[in-house]
Amino acid sequence: MSSNGLVAEKEFTEDPNGEPFILSNAESYFTVFVGGDIFGLSVQETQTIFRITSVTAIPNGPPDIVGLVNLRGKVVTAVSLRQRMRMPEQEGDKNALAIGIECKGEHFALIVDEVGDVISLSDNMLVPVPQHLDVNRSRYSSRLYRVGDLLIPVLDTDKLFDFVKS
Amino acid sequence: MDELLSDFLTETTEHIEGAENQLIDFERDPTNEELLASIFRLLHTIKGTASFLGLDRLSVIAHGAETVISEVRDGVPPTDKTVSVVLAAIDRIKQILGEVAEHGSEPPNDDEDIKSLLRANLPSLAAAAQAEDAAPEPSAEAAPAAEAEAAAPAPEAKAEERKPEPAAAKPVEKPAAKPKPAPARQGKSDGESGGGAKGQESIRVTVETIEQIMQLVSELVLTRNQLLELTRQKEEDGLKGPMQRLSALTTDLQDAVMRARMQPVGRLYANLPRLIRELASELGKKINLVTAGADTELDRQLIEVMRDPLTHLIRNCADHGLETPDERLEAGKSEVGEIRVSAAHEAGQITIAIEDDGRGLNIEKLKGKALQKGLMTEGELEQASEQEICQLIFEPGFSTAAEVTNVSGRGVGMDVVRSNLEAIGGSVSLKSKWGAGCTFSLRIPLTLAIAPALIVVVGDQRYALPQHAVVEAVGLGSQSRHRIERLQNALVLKLREEVIPVVDLKRILNVGEPVDEATADREDQLVVIMRVGVQTFGVIVDAVADVQEIVVKPMSSTLAHLKTFTGHTILGDGSVVLIIDPAGAAQLLGIEKIDDKKREAARIADRRSEKRRYVAFLAGPGAPKVIPLSLISRIEMVSASSIEVVNGRYVLQRDDGLMPIVQVGGSMGWEAEQSYPILIVASAGKTMGLLVDEIADIFEEDLRFKLEDNSSEVIGTAVYNDKAVELLDTAYYMQMAYPEPRNRPAGTSLPVVVLSEDRYVSSVLCPMLTSAGFNVFAVETMQQVEDLIESEKRVAAFVVDEAWQPEDGKSLEDELVHLKKTHATALVVLSSELDQLVAPAGLDGAVIAQVLKHDRLALLDELRSMTAGLGHAADNDEGVAA
Repeated sequence: MSSNGLVAEKEFTEDPNGEPFILSNAESYFTVFVGGDIFGLSVQETQTIFRITSVTAIPNGPPDIVGLVNLRGKVVTAVSLRQRMRMPEQEGDKNALAIGIECKGEHFALIVDEVGDVISLSDNMLVPVPQHLDVNRSRYSSRLYRVGDLLIPVLDTDKLFDFVKS
Repeated sequence: MDELLSDFLTETTEHIEGAENQLIDFERDPTNEELLASIFRLLHTIKGTASFLGLDRLSVIAHGAETVISEVRDGVPPTDKTVSVVLAAIDRIKQILGEVAEHGSEPPNDDEDIKSLLRANLPSLAAAAQAEDAAPEPSAEAAPAAEAEAAAPAPEAKAEERKPEPAAAKPVEKPAAKPKPAPARQGKSDGESGGGAKGQESIRVTVETIEQIMQLVSELVLTRNQLLELTRQKEEDGLKGPMQRLSALTTDLQDAVMRARMQPVGRLYANLPRLIRELASELGKKINLVTAGADTELDRQLIEVMRDPLTHLIRNCADHGLETPDERLEAGKSEVGEIRVSAAHEAGQITIAIEDDGRGLNIEKLKGKALQKGLMTEGELEQASEQEICQLIFEPGFSTAAEVTNVSGRGVGMDVVRSNLEAIGGSVSLKSKWGAGCTFSLRIPLTLAIAPALIVVVGDQRYALPQHAVVEAVGLGSQSRHRIERLQNALVLKLREEVIPVVDLKRILNVGEPVDEATADREDQLVVIMRVGVQTFGVIVDAVADVQEIVVKPMSSTLAHLKTFTGHTILGDGSVVLIIDPAGAAQLLGIEKIDDKKREAARIADRRSEKRRYVAFLAGPGAPKVIPLSLISRIEMVSASSIEVVNGRYVLQRDDGLMPIVQVGGSMGWEAEQSYPILIVASAGKTMGLLVDEIADIFEEDLRFKLEDNSSEVIGTAVYNDKAVELLDTAYYMQMAYPEPRNRPAGTSLPVVVLSEDRYVSSVLCPMLTSAGFNVFAVETMQQVEDLIESEKRVAAFVVDEAWQPEDGKSLEDELVHLKKTHATALVVLSSELDQLVAPAGLDGAVIAQVLKHDRLALLDELRSMTAGLGHAADNDEGVAA
């Protein structure tokens, strides 16, 4: 599945300080941005990055689900990360950027503002999640990494795409 | 899994099913040696292959079962337990097969229970005990087993032989299956023909492969549609030819793959014999199962969906339908009940009928239940036909079994059967004849994967409506006859004779501006009439964009809870549309299950709810009297002193002659000095004045009259403003006014038959016609018409109310044609709207007229002109008051 990742990884084997990582248990993550916040998304779980041209809204559907999208002949469920995080909706979501993710046999398109670099994160960069974080956001990220002076919460797709609990 | 093992599993599953069914056949026909041999062979093959593959549990159990069978084959009489123990062994084999399929190996278990059961029930033991013959048989087990071993090499060799090419297996087992006409059990994989003629080649393909091909073809169809869309826009000649060819090929390919997915319905029948056997012993009934149409093909997916409903219906037939052997004998039937399951291909649908020859449904019991459960009121039940009442058993929570049995009677199931079928676009109905059994008919679409759908526009999005649920689309707007109306805050569409609940898709989907009656009649709007089960409803859409064959894809699990949608599809232009679930939509609308009867009641209520204007007045003692305003041409205040007596009758001088005066409710006593209101009633050229004490009111109301039959001048009573009022019969007074109708020489009054159920017609129009000189016969049914003609011989004209409902499901048009043809008389149709004239094809050129129901003068004119040649029913319009 990771072979579908569109971005070559070689550029990102360095951390922001320019130091090469030599870590055995490192995993690659996309950085994505919504509302100015940064999140990590496992490259393993992502299939593709694409721009959404048209969305079919689902009347009476869950509010965070934007609609259905035709991704090369496959119908995927588009979820807005902004709405999921209870952030204000952005105007003009035409051609929104989306990340194709398969989760529990279902295909989703996660709509984000921007996709950044691919970075490697390893366990020794983990920091404990502060208790007082906004629950609307922290509920979808199980781990928090510290990279240089950046704190990157990693999105837990199982929770992110679980619409029963939320 | 290892290929050898997977082949073994598929084959053994077939063999074991075969053995199971043959065993049940054998139980019924214990002298059939061929069957026995075949069962033995099948068990033996299982034993041999299992031990070859190291599946010891299977091999040991198969051996045990084979031993029992071999004894019977060798002439030891079977006991009543023989079949049961072998079936138990077969069940265990099935269970182990399932586990092997899952884990790739046998889970450890010594199966001692089954083994000892088989050992304890060897027919020879029973035979020995019975014979009281202590002479020890040389090891009851060893002898037949040895023999079995000796017989082994032949089939085993065959089994070995077929390994490299599984397809060759078919012919080998053919002879075994031949004696019994049960082709259903074969052909599990060769979808081409249930029986599989000799020499026909087939290969085993996994379901996944077929599904994958199906997926690809679906995508291909979509891509083809996209291409078609593109080439339509661009006029390039070079493209057209190949494009058309691609299109045709794609369609053919799609068909071919669809066919590959098809499987014989016989697969559904495979486990029925066993089910019947169990039911029979559980219920203490004798049941014979007959199946037909096993080779009817159905989509694989649908076969799986149908399994549970079918099982349930058969259980139901066995438990509720069939009587016990004693009851059957008493009823003069054969002791053995029959359950017949037949499948057939009919008009693009598969129908499966499940019939029993049992007692049928007890309508009275159903009625009682319906009342008890509050599903219908007594009045509704009275009006409902038997068939309508039968359908009640599909209502949730409806069960008539007096006692809950193990088999059925919990009241869950029938509604599930219906909802299962509706979910796949099918339907279920029930016919029953008391004492003779009942028949369930299931209608199933051929396939689920591709279905025609109406693409409609609602708001700024398109949606697909499955065509199987769509009845018609009706245009709204000023050009259309059909109107959306608001009835108690709900929208309804008056369509022909029906009032159909209508919902606005925008409202239920929460998109765009909802429709209200102000905007409902916009030119561009459409109502799509849908039918789900017995419910009919309309949905308002903005437009119908297209009709397309769509590939139905189910909603992902995240969205599966949305009842409104069954799935989604990709249209030719690449856009995704949601498929509306008609049943889900109906549910979401809160449309109550409206069956035909309720709709009928609504229709009648609607027809009768026409308000009329009445004049209420006081006259003499008793309740206020009312007369429909339409009968009164004028109201005058007349001084009593101007009333004269001429020839013993009271008359009033008027410009055009003398008008007879009748006092209502009194015996011609009035104060000479006073003025009295006189209601001038003009009817058929005759005018009279009704003298009353005081005009009380003129009002418009839908009065429900309770008819009086013991009073000549009062037609009926009703309640208005909490007071009783009496409806007077003007015809009665007219006769008082004209005691010897000069216009009606005896014997020449023309017989006119009025066919209507409307009280207005019988209470107002008929007296009016009578007083106009016609000999009126008011009837309500066609039978009455026939009886009348029997005795009367000659009818001058028929007056038929358009709202009159013929019995026996005949249409009004049919009856009109019938009347016209048989009696060759004038025909007048009473309508509530002139443009709705029914124009039956069979009435070309015949004299038929249509008048408005409330236009009594037009009715008279028509009748007079039509019967002009037949005599003079009434004289000229000499004195119709202005």
